[in-house]
Amino acid sequence: MGSLARAYGRPLAALIAAITVVWVLVLVLVPLGAMIEQSLWWRESKGDTSLAIDRLYNDMSTLQLDRSSATDPARQAALDAQIAEKQAQATALEAQEKNPPKVYGFDNFTRISELHLYIFARTILYALMVTLLALVVCYPVAYSVALASGPRKAVILTVALIVPYAINELLRVYAWLMILDYRGVINGVLGWFGLVDLDNRGWIPFLENPSAVFVAMIYTYVLFMVFPMVNTLETLDRNQIEAARDLGASSFRIHRRVIIPHAKPGIAVGCIMTFMLSAGSYSVPQIMTRGQGGDWFSQLVYRQFYESNNWNMGSAYAVSLLVVCTAFILIMMRLFGVGLRDIAK
Amino acid sequence: MSASTESRGAQLVLNIYVGLFCLYLFLPLAVMSAAAFNAFDYPSVTQWHGFTLKWFVALAHDQRLLQGLYNSVMVALGVIAVSIPTGLAGALILTRLGERSGTLLYSVLVSPVLTPGIILGISSLIFWREFGVPGGLFVAVMAQSSFIASYAMLLFLARLQRQDRTLEEAALDLGAGHFLVFRRITLPFLAPTAFTAAVVAFLQSFENYNTTVFAVGGDWTLVTEIASRLRFGLSPVINVVGVIFVALTLLAATAYVVLKGKPAR
Amino acid sequence: MRGKDVRLDQVAIRFGGSTAVHPTSLAIEAGEFFSILGPSGCGKTTILRAISGFIEPSEGRVLLGGEDMAGKGPNERPTALIFQNLALFPLMSVAENVAFGLEARGVGRRERLARAEELLDLVALGGFGGKKPADLSGGQRQRVAIARALAVEPSVLLLDEPLSALDLKLRQHMRTELRAIQKRVGITFIYITHDQGEALAMSDRVAVMSRGRIEQVAAADTIYADPATPFVSTFVGEQNVLPGTLVSLAKDEATVDTPVGRVTGRAKGDLAPGAAVLVMVRPERMALDGRRENSLTARLTARHLEGASVNLDFEAKGRRFLVVMPNGPAARDIPDEVTLSFGRTDALVYAEGPLANG
Repeated sequence: MGSLARAYGRPLAALIAAITVVWVLVLVLVPLGAMIEQSLWWRESKGDTSLAIDRLYNDMSTLQLDRSSATDPARQAALDAQIAEKQAQATALEAQEKNPPKVYGFDNFTRISELHLYIFARTILYALMVTLLALVVCYPVAYSVALASGPRKAVILTVALIVPYAINELLRVYAWLMILDYRGVINGVLGWFGLVDLDNRGWIPFLENPSAVFVAMIYTYVLFMVFPMVNTLETLDRNQIEAARDLGASSFRIHRRVIIPHAKPGIAVGCIMTFMLSAGSYSVPQIMTRGQGGDWFSQLVYRQFYESNNWNMGSAYAVSLLVVCTAFILIMMRLFGVGLRDIAK
Repeated sequence: MSASTESRGAQLVLNIYVGLFCLYLFLPLAVMSAAAFNAFDYPSVTQWHGFTLKWFVALAHDQRLLQGLYNSVMVALGVIAVSIPTGLAGALILTRLGERSGTLLYSVLVSPVLTPGIILGISSLIFWREFGVPGGLFVAVMAQSSFIASYAMLLFLARLQRQDRTLEEAALDLGAGHFLVFRRITLPFLAPTAFTAAVVAFLQSFENYNTTVFAVGGDWTLVTEIASRLRFGLSPVINVVGVIFVALTLLAATAYVVLKGKPAR
Repeated sequence: MRGKDVRLDQVAIRFGGSTAVHPTSLAIEAGEFFSILGPSGCGKTTILRAISGFIEPSEGRVLLGGEDMAGKGPNERPTALIFQNLALFPLMSVAENVAFGLEARGVGRRERLARAEELLDLVALGGFGGKKPADLSGGQRQRVAIARALAVEPSVLLLDEPLSALDLKLRQHMRTELRAIQKRVGITFIYITHDQGEALAMSDRVAVMSRGRIEQVAAADTIYADPATPFVSTFVGEQNVLPGTLVSLAKDEATVDTPVGRVTGRAKGDLAPGAAVLVMVRPERMALDGRRENSLTARLTARHLEGASVNLDFEAKGRRFLVVMPNGPAARDIPDEVTLSFGRTDALVYAEGPLANG
């Protein structure tokens, strides 16, 4: 802090510090805290409250009936008192029903239904598979691009990779929706050969298979794996590869002993980004299932907020997702021996 | 490519593989673009009913999409206004902090980049409701800024690492006050990065869906509008949007390569 | 412009646990060209930064023209610093660079650019104002830095090894030029360098520093001819170093037992018989004959022609001796074995202490 003031003077340093503090609090930490807090409480609305209210009103109408048929003033007064008492009870219960008390605990997490738990687990599993597949697909590409010699080739490849990367995520998903739709490109081509009959809805329903989401997801996030790997591989001294080859190492051994160890931070970053994006993706499943399916956990979260209007439960779901992603990041950092500063390059 | 490090056969296989990969990346986009010019009223390339530009006209009359475009631009400008100063402030602090406290602050400031987008949207939505601000364009700006500011900060940090601090010292030594030093030395040095960061912030904001869809409430941006359209069936109008995006991106990339390809002085 | 005197009063500077400068007092006169000479890491740049205000001393006071500078930042002191890398502002034109200090003082644009043009003329760069620093040669950039520093009319100009990036020829030229500029403007120059040639050539006085302490402050001639410590003795110029034991002391004449026999020399500092001492003789003070008081027999091992002079390597009793003599007939055809001698006043005897370069 002192060096900041020395460099920029006290007023500027104070301004810089204030902006940073506001950023940390208003944009990062407090919203996160608010979400976690929201996930830790719920309104105790007992199902029997409304039943009890109904019963009270039933009782009251019976009493009303009794009262209208009663002639004895003393009896009437007694009935009036009973009605008033029931009314007071009903009013109290109604108030409670309208604004049930906040209760804190972990129930939002433990109350998750079996189906939702299954979808949660499947989402994580799919995200892991997307990550692994993207890694395998990308490694040769990254290797090839990073070690490309001619600057022209490097430029062309970079553009060939960067242009799709820069195009809207949604449109990339949409392209696949077009390809896999009932009347999509694949069914169309199959139709040319008479393999499917589009006119009589005899198409192959690719979109109804969960793997449609999977395919589009790899397409959408694969480049987040390529770029970090290219960045680290570009710093590899090619003489190392040549030296290893000169010493008689096989291609496999060179990759295992020289190139992959060097690419480690890039691999870690690529895996973290790809996993995080696919586990938390809302766009891909939402578009590929056209809002119909509920196959991905993020869709459940969305529905808790915008359909069931249960923000507490939705927050609990979001927190669970965050915990898994954080755990994944920590595990990858540990596994690959990289620090946070290597990651965010 | 790297002819000296691979045998010829291996090189050929590698080249074919990379070629296929690029094809895999481009083909879907090409299909999507082509369908925008098909007269058939379902986006298709297999059932070709003739070339048309009528979907472009349809887009020009689509009030909700145009409003969405306007909203997207407004949100993106808001994000630039929020995230460039914050990112700059964070980077300036981090370059002057000691190792330990620096690492802690750094972790907090980059964490949004590593957080799933929907979570940023949700936490902002909950946070701003506490102040009576419902989901909408403002909350979308805040939610997006939380991670776009981190990207801006990383760009500024990289630039500041190449800063020659003696320049600021020299200006001080010549009698300049801290404000003058900041205005005449520090800011001009950072200006190109600020421009890059603003472009990155604009693109990131414009294309963002996962965070925005949670934060935007009843409002909409171009991207959330497209997504909700898709629920009710595909329309070539969306393809037109796609074509425009692809064309603009190609144009920008070409300009970038041409500018960068110029021999340096 | 008027120079001001600079005084350090028991200034000590520590960074965390390590001491960069031990308590040091120093008085530099107004209008003096003063050099601080020392190897890298000796603390000379730290002292300079304390004078310019980038560092607050941990102890002691810095006084400029008698005024205590405590609490004053670099922009509030009557000093200007020329940085080692010059720190010219790359995005500003040469004229804007020179005028920056005036801009900081609120001088109007037209006036400050006119003044910048004058200063550029002073350093023989008239007409270069519109260029960018990157378009200039090393020597030109050097002069821009000087003009920029002079523009704020400092009382004290601080120079942090500004010539180190230049090639030898240009460096020698700039020495003369700096000295001339200093004479012309008449302000105090404090010049930091590790290059003894620069320090000796330009300065009125030189301070030699080692490991955070000033070893000697004296005129350049005195530093060379009469160094105060073994460090100064070996850091400035070449020396033949002969370890030995002090046998006796009469007034300031010391008699020492050395591996090559008994020699006599001039005692420096407090010495006591029996103490371990170092005898130092300049190579050019050694003669190839036996006519001086101290003599020894040596064998020629190598001869290096330097141009105007010749360096001769001799060996005696396992010790190496260097003799420098002017190039001429006497320097040729030297027999393999000769008698070397040096005068009593040419040998300086110090108590054992650290030497430069170990």
